[in-house]
Amino acid sequence: MGEIGLEIIEELTADILILGGGGAALMCALHATDQVPTPRVLLVVKGLLGKSGCTRMVQGGMNAVLNSEDSLEAHFRDTVVGGAFLNDQELVWLLVTHAPRIVFELENRYGILFDRDEYGRIHQKPFAGQSFNRTVHKGDLTGIEVMERLREAVWARSSLVFLEDAQAVALLPGEEGGVGGALVLDHRSGHFLVVRAKATVLATGGGPTFYRFSTPSREKSLDGIALAYRAGAELMDLEMIQFHPTGLVCPGSELNGAVLEEGLRGAGAVLLNARGERFMVRYDPTRMERSTRDIVARAAYMEIMEGRGTPQGGVYIDISHLGRERVEAMFPGMVERTRMAGYDLATGPVEVCPTAHFIMGGIRIDEMCRTSLPGLYAAGEDAAGVHGANRLGGNGIAESLVFGALAGELLREEVAEKALPRVDILYARDAVRELMDGLSAEQGESTAGLWAELKDLMWTHVGVVREEAFLREAIRRLEGLRERARKLWVGPTNRFNLTLMQALSLRNALEVAWLVAHSALYRNESRGAHFRRDHPSSWEVPKNLVLRRSLSGEPSFEWRSPRMTRLQPEEVKGWSERS
Amino acid sequence: MERKVLIWRGGPDSGTSFAEYRVPFTSRSTVLDALLYVQRQLDPTLAFRYACRKGMCGTCGIRVNGVERLACSTHLSIVPGKEVRLEPLRHLPVIKDLAVDFTPFFQRWVRLNGAFVSSDAGDHLYGSSLPEPLVRWRECISCALCYSACDTVGRATSFAGPAALNRTLTLAIDPRDKGNRWHRVDRIEGALGCHAMGVCTLVCPKGLDPATAIQRLRWRRLA
Repeated sequence: MGEIGLEIIEELTADILILGGGGAALMCALHATDQVPTPRVLLVVKGLLGKSGCTRMVQGGMNAVLNSEDSLEAHFRDTVVGGAFLNDQELVWLLVTHAPRIVFELENRYGILFDRDEYGRIHQKPFAGQSFNRTVHKGDLTGIEVMERLREAVWARSSLVFLEDAQAVALLPGEEGGVGGALVLDHRSGHFLVVRAKATVLATGGGPTFYRFSTPSREKSLDGIALAYRAGAELMDLEMIQFHPTGLVCPGSELNGAVLEEGLRGAGAVLLNARGERFMVRYDPTRMERSTRDIVARAAYMEIMEGRGTPQGGVYIDISHLGRERVEAMFPGMVERTRMAGYDLATGPVEVCPTAHFIMGGIRIDEMCRTSLPGLYAAGEDAAGVHGANRLGGNGIAESLVFGALAGELLREEVAEKALPRVDILYARDAVRELMDGLSAEQGESTAGLWAELKDLMWTHVGVVREEAFLREAIRRLEGLRERARKLWVGPTNRFNLTLMQALSLRNALEVAWLVAHSALYRNESRGAHFRRDHPSSWEVPKNLVLRRSLSGEPSFEWRSPRMTRLQPEEVKGWSERS
Repeated sequence: MERKVLIWRGGPDSGTSFAEYRVPFTSRSTVLDALLYVQRQLDPTLAFRYACRKGMCGTCGIRVNGVERLACSTHLSIVPGKEVRLEPLRHLPVIKDLAVDFTPFFQRWVRLNGAFVSSDAGDHLYGSSLPEPLVRWRECISCALCYSACDTVGRATSFAGPAALNRTLTLAIDPRDKGNRWHRVDRIEGALGCHAMGVCTLVCPKGLDPATAIQRLRWRRLA
């Protein structure tokens, strides 16, 4: 009963197929259907619409220039300096110029309400690495406010169709080397669907969950990047993975690695090692705890590795000097979270350690969100280029909402003149057979066991600090894990089989982990979030590492110059001394 | 330490029954940790929902010894009684085991409230200080715990339920919204359907008070 069959039960068509259910996906869907003629949009969401994905997890807020004393140039410059000049500067310019109108739209069209200051003006708080207080927020639970309202807007728009508990398992070749849609597994019905679409948008939201400590929502597994790689699209800078410096240490619980937001450091929280020293003085004496995420994460990691960590392997964050009432009022969500883990942020120190947070690299896109494959688009964390080598707090949700909106607007016009592509049904049939062949009801490797091995391996070998010998070892062992993941035991392949979902996630994560290790080995320098102990300095000229799948299945690499169309490193005072 | 955990298994494809497991735990273990332990170590066919694991997504709601709770935010050590009995939320179709389909919950929500209707699509922001309920009362995570706990939702096939009505109040007091939804609110499907039993407020994991929100919606029409 309810068994997943090998037959492709249904064939659907859509003008725009959006894979994902977070901020980028919903903004894309809303903007694509804002005006008549309305294209037919289908959203395929791995969990529940508006409840899965990481926009919802945003605590800090969203960066946008809204104050006359701030400027687009300043936001641009902070983003590019933070990204160590690896950013695609045209994408950054789109981010900073569109972010303000998106804030207006969120408030005035969908009813989102950000916090106000005592004069009734929108409140903008300080965030690390920024020259102006530019982060709009709703307390420390900004993402919930944004996604709840976007979910309402999508539900209220009857023309939007969505499938929940469903995921794309392969992109389907369309015409002229492009993508013509996707093969989708609907876990709720247990059916495979072929979706033919004029445009397919990857908005699954990256999510480096393949580390022992990681922050993203648990269902995320870099699906979009894995799908794009297999289809032959160009990927870029995959080695650039951001570790948030302050993940909660909570061993034995799923809460382990959950993030404590950056605003704490902005508001004056101090970081202490086990000896009670404010260790940031040794790593960034001017900015101290308000330094960028990469520097703070590395500092905490070094303290832990050099034996100055806590018994549980972390360091302390302490904001209790502001007073209990003030901390409770400013960071209610964070206080609640620490109490869940047996600490109390409002009254004392909390144990934290670096935790994998965000992948800056991803699918290469242009200003129209086009990937290197016709018919395939990407927006949000799946895409690369906006954040360069390191992302500023508050720029993540901004990227998802801005580029989701842009993709929707551009595609609305683009699909109007296009015909539905033909897709190769035999290819889809083969993909189904291959997928189900490796998933067994009776025998095979344990999905949970392989996930745990992957997380440990990535943490110790491809983590905050990297080195050639470890990376080579990681690649070798990842190939072993990938081989073992070809035959997985998932129990009876019934509909809504959680183990099957985790097995598919595992394969995607393994593929991208392997590419990340390759990329980290290839980049013989340290830049932004990527730190090589054996190559600690940065090259004078920044270079993007572009890769794609070769015929053998192995990645082929190529260095390209980032688009530095607006700001050169030498124009930023003190830049060369710092790198 | 170890606890006996009984999990409701089944769904439209099969019969239903409770399955019994023994689950190790520490003072930090949550009900979600227990579910993951069972699924990873004992029975890979167990189905349930979760995403953020930190009380933000509102998808891991279940009934723990009969009371609606978020699995990720409930420590195993505080669940009273000899055993821990886990069941799916009520009033929503079960897909399998503890995983339910949220569609009716959101359908009723949108039927009652419709969309936010802006008085102003221009490039400026509402600028004055915000009434407290407007800030605090909108922190609902749509986890449907109140929807499951409410007997009226179970009896009246069209009653929108506490979460949707709590949202109605935040729309009603939002000076920016110009939506007209009173004709739907002042009906048995809306605020008038509430029997004021108050369980919605008791089970809210975010400490919100939908029962009072519904009362306010009624008073507003009397005033």
